[in-house]
Amino acid sequence: MKRVLTIILAALLLAIPCFSVCEEAEEIETIVTIVTAPEQTQAQRPPCFPDPADDYIPLPESENLAQGKPVKSGAHTDVYVDKNVNDGRTDTYWESKGFPAEITFDLQGLYSVSTVAVCLNPSSIWEPRIQEIAVQVSLDGESFTEAAAPVKYQFDAATGNRIRIDFDPAKAAFVKIVFTLNTSSRTGGAQAAEICIYE
Amino acid sequence: MKKLILLLTLCLMIILAALPAISFSEKRPTLLTLYEGPRTMRSSPDASVSVNGYDLFVYDVMVNHEHIWNANTQPVTTPMTYFDFEGRACIRIEMPGLSQPVESAVVQPYACGITPEVLDGAVSFTITEPGQYTVVFNGSVNKALHIFANPPETDVPDPDDPDVFYIGPGEWVMDAIALQDNQTLYISGGAVLHSIISVANASNVRICGRGLIDGSDYPAWNQAGSYARVPIDLNHSRNVSVEGIGIVNSNCWNLNSYSSKNVTIDNVKIISGRQNGDGFTFQSCIDHTVTNCFARTWDDSLVIKNYSGSTRGITFQNIQVWTDLAQSMEIGYETDKGLTLDPEISDVRFENITVLYNFHKPVISIHNSDDAFVHDIVYRGIVVENAFMQGDNGNNKELIEMTLQNSAWSTVRDEFGSIDNVLIDGLTVINTIDGKVPRSRMSGVGEDNMITNVILRNVRILGEPIVTLKEMKLSVDDYCDGIVVE
Repeated sequence: MKRVLTIILAALLLAIPCFSVCEEAEEIETIVTIVTAPEQTQAQRPPCFPDPADDYIPLPESENLAQGKPVKSGAHTDVYVDKNVNDGRTDTYWESKGFPAEITFDLQGLYSVSTVAVCLNPSSIWEPRIQEIAVQVSLDGESFTEAAAPVKYQFDAATGNRIRIDFDPAKAAFVKIVFTLNTSSRTGGAQAAEICIYE
Repeated sequence: MKKLILLLTLCLMIILAALPAISFSEKRPTLLTLYEGPRTMRSSPDASVSVNGYDLFVYDVMVNHEHIWNANTQPVTTPMTYFDFEGRACIRIEMPGLSQPVESAVVQPYACGITPEVLDGAVSFTITEPGQYTVVFNGSVNKALHIFANPPETDVPDPDDPDVFYIGPGEWVMDAIALQDNQTLYISGGAVLHSIISVANASNVRICGRGLIDGSDYPAWNQAGSYARVPIDLNHSRNVSVEGIGIVNSNCWNLNSYSSKNVTIDNVKIISGRQNGDGFTFQSCIDHTVTNCFARTWDDSLVIKNYSGSTRGITFQNIQVWTDLAQSMEIGYETDKGLTLDPEISDVRFENITVLYNFHKPVISIHNSDDAFVHDIVYRGIVVENAFMQGDNGNNKELIEMTLQNSAWSTVRDEFGSIDNVLIDGLTVINTIDGKVPRSRMSGVGEDNMITNVILRNVRILGEPIVTLKEMKLSVDDYCDGIVVE
């Protein structure tokens, strides 16, 4: 009896290693799912976010008379100076300190202007907002007349975060844009990444 | 004879106890999900990793071994990989990117109890639990391998749901993604998304998946022409969840929440090596819970501040951090940047936090450098595996630091706050830079601006229990009261 029990015990002890966790990878029965990558040659825009550029408000193809010209405004917020509005970049911007906010361009010549575009950064992280904007023109930079009355414009990334103000052609050497409202929750002033002026 | 029967019975009990494991391995095969890397990227040449015999795609991600602030620092890379599993995963690693063959390897956190096998330069070990594992080779943190072994995904959103933005595997780029009410962004495993995600004034928003948000396409935010592109930025939002994804190569801080409420973050992995690369950073937030996450950062890892109002109800739980620069668990320095009335930071809990490495400044810190009332703060189950604080020119190298003084980040300079009712229950430090107990410090400002009622309990440093201020090397000034080590 004793001998039989000893044999059973020895057999059990020998069997224990077989029951312990096997560390060999090929011995682990595995149900594998491989999530495959699509064919790509470069990083692409995710298909679930169609490019909104097709829905952007179109701008005139003629020369932007404002770009690079002398510009002047009242007080600005932080580092958001007025020269940012005609540097050709929508990732820089001007932000006024309060309202009304005026920004004036010296076109350095006499033009018959008929369109002004106000652009924000087109990124969708710029929340939709309304800004109230008017356009005034001047021949001498001192006496201005209204070319476009104040209107509330909707800015939305879905349409490029830009608006276009068309008005009857007006002779101008200076153009003043007047902001009286911005509904953005993040500022108490006017904002513009680019302001473009066209004949 | 009786002894023999007893022994036999014991053996049978051992075998019976092992049966569940046996039956699991025999009847329930391991479920493994692997994600191919984008075809536009190549797997890291520095590391080859397989799991149960299947090769993994290995990403090179930015980290930084410079343990002092440098505005123009240059990060290096380390390998990282991930997969999902349930069951057993035998991981095999080769490290051709190391200058020397692998002769030794350590798997962290140490508490996982894994002793890897090193044979002919290859490292192998088996895991049975999802988690975040870091492998350090040849006793050097250079090219440490981060392995994120996720649990299988659940509750994957329906791609056909009009409120779901579903990003599949592959490399993707777009300037920014703004999520609005009731929207979900899914970033699939195998996806590398170069973008930033903004949740502003929104509620009921979910960000989930297994993929990566990768900021490598922009220079560091403080460099000329660049700007901060925060990978996930929550702003005045409510009921937001972030689950399962990874954030790498950010050009600034990583997961930011500002004046938001009811936010849950689970199984999010952050690896960051660039300037101001804070990990989970919350300002003036209420009711945030961060669980099962990982943060390796080149600035504070877990951060709470006040920017425009008080902070309340923040819990960090089951987190691993590796802090190459600054502090691991920081409250401050800004505690009233918004100059609000009666600012407070309260009901903050750090629970089961494992600090793999802390290389620069204090591990636990409350720098109340404005005028807030900071109170009811709990640290429980903190394990510091390697407390290697080198400080700044000999300063700021404490293990624990609590202060009320002004700092370079103070907004309020003529008034001060206070700190009250802090519990540190369970603090274990395994290794220190010099084999000695690191110093700690508490410093108030005056009779009306004190640090009071701080209890340190169940502290062990270098294997020894610590039960006195002296053993703790904790200095307290005249404006501290009720500071107890027990």
